[in-house]
Amino acid sequence: MKQPQKPVRETDTKIRPTGWQILCIALFLFYMLLPILSTYVFSVATRWDRTILPEGYTLEFYIRAFQTSYFTITLRNSLILSVATIVVSLIVIVPTVYWVHTRLTGLKPWLDVLMILPFGIPTVVLALALVQVYNFPPIARSPILLIGAVVVYSMPFMYRPVSNALQAIDALTLTEAGQILGANVFQVLSKIIIPNILPGILSGSLLVFSTVFAEYTLTSLIVGASFKTFPLLLVEYTRINGNIAAAFSVVSFTIAWLFSILLLWAGSKGQNASAETIQAR
Amino acid sequence: MMRRSKRQTGQTFDWMRLLPFFLFCLAFEVVPILFLMHGSVIDKTTSQFTLQHYLDVNRPLYINSFLNSIKLSGITAIVGVIFGTFIGYAIYRWPSKRVQHILITLSDVTTNFAGAPLAFAFVVILGMNGIITQFLLQYFHYELYPTFSIYSFSGLIVAYIYFQLPLMVLLILPAFAGIKKEWRESAQSLGANTFRFWRYIGIPVLTPSLIAGVTLLFANAFGAYATAYTLVQAKLSIVTLQIGYMIAGEIRKDPGVGMAMAVLSLVIMGLSIGIYQAATIRARRWSKS
Repeated sequence: MKQPQKPVRETDTKIRPTGWQILCIALFLFYMLLPILSTYVFSVATRWDRTILPEGYTLEFYIRAFQTSYFTITLRNSLILSVATIVVSLIVIVPTVYWVHTRLTGLKPWLDVLMILPFGIPTVVLALALVQVYNFPPIARSPILLIGAVVVYSMPFMYRPVSNALQAIDALTLTEAGQILGANVFQVLSKIIIPNILPGILSGSLLVFSTVFAEYTLTSLIVGASFKTFPLLLVEYTRINGNIAAAFSVVSFTIAWLFSILLLWAGSKGQNASAETIQAR
Repeated sequence: MMRRSKRQTGQTFDWMRLLPFFLFCLAFEVVPILFLMHGSVIDKTTSQFTLQHYLDVNRPLYINSFLNSIKLSGITAIVGVIFGTFIGYAIYRWPSKRVQHILITLSDVTTNFAGAPLAFAFVVILGMNGIITQFLLQYFHYELYPTFSIYSFSGLIVAYIYFQLPLMVLLILPAFAGIKKEWRESAQSLGANTFRFWRYIGIPVLTPSLIAGVTLLFANAFGAYATAYTLVQAKLSIVTLQIGYMIAGEIRKDPGVGMAMAVLSLVIMGLSIGIYQAATIRARRWSKS
């Protein structure tokens, strides 16, 4: 049945892109790639403020960047924050979405609203609200408060992929089948549901990780210097030393690219990753 | 009877299971926002209702920060929508699926490249000694500074468009996919040329997505903080930076103005997101099936 369609597709792919298309894409690539590629080159350039091309190349700034006293501490703090956020979101969001999908389907519109709400709250406003409400020790300005804030902020990124994955597997039938065979709630979740929605969970976790790892606003406004993360160090160095700041930016870009590749890989196992990021908005 | 009661207890049990999530949302989302709204209309010393905080917003610094934020978000949203739509169409009509996939992935990654590293990357190319600045000076003898500065409003526009453009590309691609090939063919066989096709079919079908694009991009820029903080700091006043200063300087005795500004920006964001949602629902009419 599919045979007659094939020749049509082949002629389709032989059509060359037109001039305006090439121009559009070329300008787009220029805009999107030039700042990033320049930063990579700048980070290994000895001096690049008088000439079109760098005057020489060196790894000195990476050595100095990795030797700064806060480098490992801030990376560790960013890692702690990202992992803690993923763990809390998984515990809070996954079971809830599962129950709403299987038992309380009527609540789904409400859940959708609660999940999209963080997009309507600018991060500074969330920070201001949380700092005002929780102004008593030990929560005030603590990493705990920060984790709560970051979980709220990254909630849509976890919710969409998990919700889509649950939608795709017909969770109710699977649950009932499991229960008929004598499985309890935890067995159903751990042995049937979670393995089946793993690509969704993985996509969500990767999205949350890369978002939280680059998070600046909430961290700087809620905890500030007492729990310095990598983006805070980067901003600090943009004012101290441009070359070292470039090395830090490269680290940050590289992590973002790595996670995007991982995300694509996870997405190809489940649904389209790009479709999810856009729906998450 | 037994069955029914069992079912009922089962249902209350189901509700109980949602408790952790709702408590979490209450603690970190709903209560703080309500507190903010409450605080913006209450006088701290007398605990009486007051609109004074909102009247206090009416000072040149704060009014300017709102105007700057709205201008910045509006300009970058409109530029982002126009260019994003053309780039999106170029990607959509690109013959090779592989290239399409690569470009979509690129948009996916770059739209999340907001914040400090991106801001710094723009300093590298468009700063006082940036690469493009140097290039223009040496080859065209054109001095970019001081007409343009990456540390000013014009610089923020360039930096914001960086994350607005790919977001629009991702948003508009499904809309192009919604314009069915059959419509085009029927329009052609009925004698419509390309202009008439876009005028009477293409653009009307795209309109909800374009409106959704403008509002989403507007909200996206309005809420942004880190890029602006890294680039302009005190040189330009925008709403998010102002609110940020109020948190940082907690010594300030009266946070009322900050709360009022926060509530006002929530209203602006709420309006944009509301229109975005409504437009998206309309846009889905076409992209379904």
